[in-house]
Amino acid sequence: MLGYITKIREISERLLKEGKVDMVIGFRKGTVPMMNEPCVVKNPENVKELVWDSNCGINLANYLTDRKEKIGVVAKGCDSRNIVTHLIENKIKRDQLFIIGVPCKGMIDRHKITSMFAKEIKEVVEEENRIIVRGDDYEKIFKKAEVLQENCAICIHRNPVIYDELAADLVEEQKDVDRYEDVRRIEAMPAEKKGNYFDNLLSACIRCYACRNACPLCYCLTCFVDESRPQWVGKSINPTDIRTFHFLRAYHCAGRCTDCGACERACPMGIKVREFTKKLEKDCFELYGWEAGMSLDERPPLDTYRPDDPDFIK
Amino acid sequence: MSDWEPKIVAFLCNWCSYGAADLAGINRLQYPTNIKVIRIPCTGRMSPKFILAAFGKGADGVWVSGCHPGDCHYMEGNYYARRKFTLFKNLIEHMGIEPGRLHFSWISSAEGTRFAEIANKVTKTVKNLGSSRHLIKKINAKVD
Amino acid sequence: MKVVKIDKRNWAGKLEKLKESYRLFGPVKDNEFHIFERLDKGELPDFNYFNTRLSPKSIIYPQSETMLEFSLDKSKENHHILKETDTDCSPRAVIGIRPCDAAAFLLVKRNFDTAEHKDPYWVKAYETTTFVGLACNNPQATCFCTSAGCGPFYEEGLDLLLVDMEDHYFAKIITSKGENLLEAAGWNTGTDADPAGKQIKTMKQEAEAKITSSITTDKLKDKTTTDLFDAPFWEEVAFACINCGTCTYVCPTCWCFDIQDEVNGYSGIRMRNWDSCMFPLFTLHGSGHNPRSTNMQRVRQRFMHKLKYYMDKYDNGIQCVGCGRCIRLCPVNIDIRKVCDLMNSYGD
Repeated sequence: MLGYITKIREISERLLKEGKVDMVIGFRKGTVPMMNEPCVVKNPENVKELVWDSNCGINLANYLTDRKEKIGVVAKGCDSRNIVTHLIENKIKRDQLFIIGVPCKGMIDRHKITSMFAKEIKEVVEEENRIIVRGDDYEKIFKKAEVLQENCAICIHRNPVIYDELAADLVEEQKDVDRYEDVRRIEAMPAEKKGNYFDNLLSACIRCYACRNACPLCYCLTCFVDESRPQWVGKSINPTDIRTFHFLRAYHCAGRCTDCGACERACPMGIKVREFTKKLEKDCFELYGWEAGMSLDERPPLDTYRPDDPDFIK
Repeated sequence: MSDWEPKIVAFLCNWCSYGAADLAGINRLQYPTNIKVIRIPCTGRMSPKFILAAFGKGADGVWVSGCHPGDCHYMEGNYYARRKFTLFKNLIEHMGIEPGRLHFSWISSAEGTRFAEIANKVTKTVKNLGSSRHLIKKINAKVD
Repeated sequence: MKVVKIDKRNWAGKLEKLKESYRLFGPVKDNEFHIFERLDKGELPDFNYFNTRLSPKSIIYPQSETMLEFSLDKSKENHHILKETDTDCSPRAVIGIRPCDAAAFLLVKRNFDTAEHKDPYWVKAYETTTFVGLACNNPQATCFCTSAGCGPFYEEGLDLLLVDMEDHYFAKIITSKGENLLEAAGWNTGTDADPAGKQIKTMKQEAEAKITSSITTDKLKDKTTTDLFDAPFWEEVAFACINCGTCTYVCPTCWCFDIQDEVNGYSGIRMRNWDSCMFPLFTLHGSGHNPRSTNMQRVRQRFMHKLKYYMDKYDNGIQCVGCGRCIRLCPVNIDIRKVCDLMNSYGD
């Protein structure tokens, strides 16, 4: 994916010079290992800031919500699906966008890599399909596949579904992927064990709302956690409030989540928050044959119905 | 615990199940007093927040009932609701709520008998599960 | 200066003894990272850490803290009367706090403990706590404490400073509180202060030399507040910010809170919870107007408060100790070092 950078810069420079867009939204190199910072470039001279590597896990569709400018946006597979969702939900207009599609080979899991080393990680270097982690007196080489974010490892839509120009040739999509192995593992548990599993999962939550805010789907003007009449969710770190928050956050993403993994990547405590949204994603797929963000012509599953929908209610 | 009785919040659609509850009463059909009814305009109006709030404030069970598919007063409210309820019930049970705490039914306003039957069934199921622990919010005030 | 030598062979035993007179807190590895927790019987602090994921501020200032309790039951004598919550005020000790985190309490103290106003909850918790620091021999790449007014062996804010000497610790006594703790544990093997002091000094210099990261703050004081406020770089600084509360919640010096009543049936509590200037609700008025309604305004507020307003108000440096948590944990890599340097050099 490293070769993409030149092409992304070239397209961005052209777009800005020709005045086709007012700005390009992409990533610039981060100041700590395994992190890049979403950035905006308005001047063609600054396109050299733009980078692309396996640390671009934040979903850039999040930065498009309700913008008025003409925007060039760098979009990997999941970003493009969230752009589709944004278009369907009228959060941006298609003619405002020039989508620089990035065929993606997956992002690396910063939480996983960090937890593998007791010593500080000083540098993480990427070579084609190899990730080299270095500290003061050590070096370890991984195959990229070993350290991919979980959502990337099971991704079946790496290529952008909507784009104006590509930064590279389309990549081969992963086939025969079992996307829901982890959901089934939890489904098989008895109720008590499920409850404990999720209690344990959320025990570290500090309610910073990074999961919510990193998500391009969360754009309500007033989030339910901020509503006070009535107050649906308390403000403290009461376990019931925390569970309620995570439940409702996930539920609001039902039929919209593209499993981009931005929430999980953003969590400062490394909580696997995708465990909530994935159940919904699986149900939407199995019950309604729905995958979010794949088409501009279909309504999302909770915005439509079929009289012969599966009915569990007697 | 043998004389313990569960608290059950029932969200009933104004156009059907709520009427069915009335009919059950007029017909002198017995159903348990555990059921506390909240009238809603349509199951399409149900928000997941209502259900979580009921559990959070101490309900041992929640029951939502509306019009049979195809019979919605607003044509399609219950069709949308059906999808929402399906995903909601699956997710909340995925997170560890015992199946049997959360009930849904379709009851028309002519089905007073059916209302009483389901009310009995819901109460029995919830009673068997015992008091809810999972979603109740505990506030640790020491004052009594 | 007095230094006591603590043999690591009887470290565990003496800590157990200490638990008879103090409630101990220390770094423990929970899941995949270290946090400060109460040390139960038999539990030892794990010193094999750089810096805890969350700062130890919650020991003094919990994320959710019950302040008052009340009953709404009119049949009760004192219904509707707020009553102070009983809190355990027995002595506590934090074992193995990093000097930067301990120094952070001093910055926070300027807010909670002033001549005119004292926050009883914070002050009580702070005063009953003894801080046993652990000198930082291996600072991280994101640490910039030396240019933020403290350092890896910084002593202010600590009662004792432990220095890890492989088979033993040197405990440098800084206050009488620290001395009392040593006595309670039975650590009284005095050591020759001069050579020990020299060794500590050498290690201090080595540790300081390992800090590669820095900020410049020298010109912040002389900048005009409104110039900085109106500076054009804020839009760019704030662009990536998703307005989560991570930076404020992991920060050892952020102190903002929100007070809430919660009622269940007839009994209720008044509590305070951490709040964050990154959240729109933080400044939302009852009228619906929000003076900091945009992302950029909120990001600017956080940095201006830490690096300018605080400095101007207290004349005591910036409201940051350089622990680097916000840099490491920000989901979108907004780096306070970059922002500080932008502010410091603005208009030059």
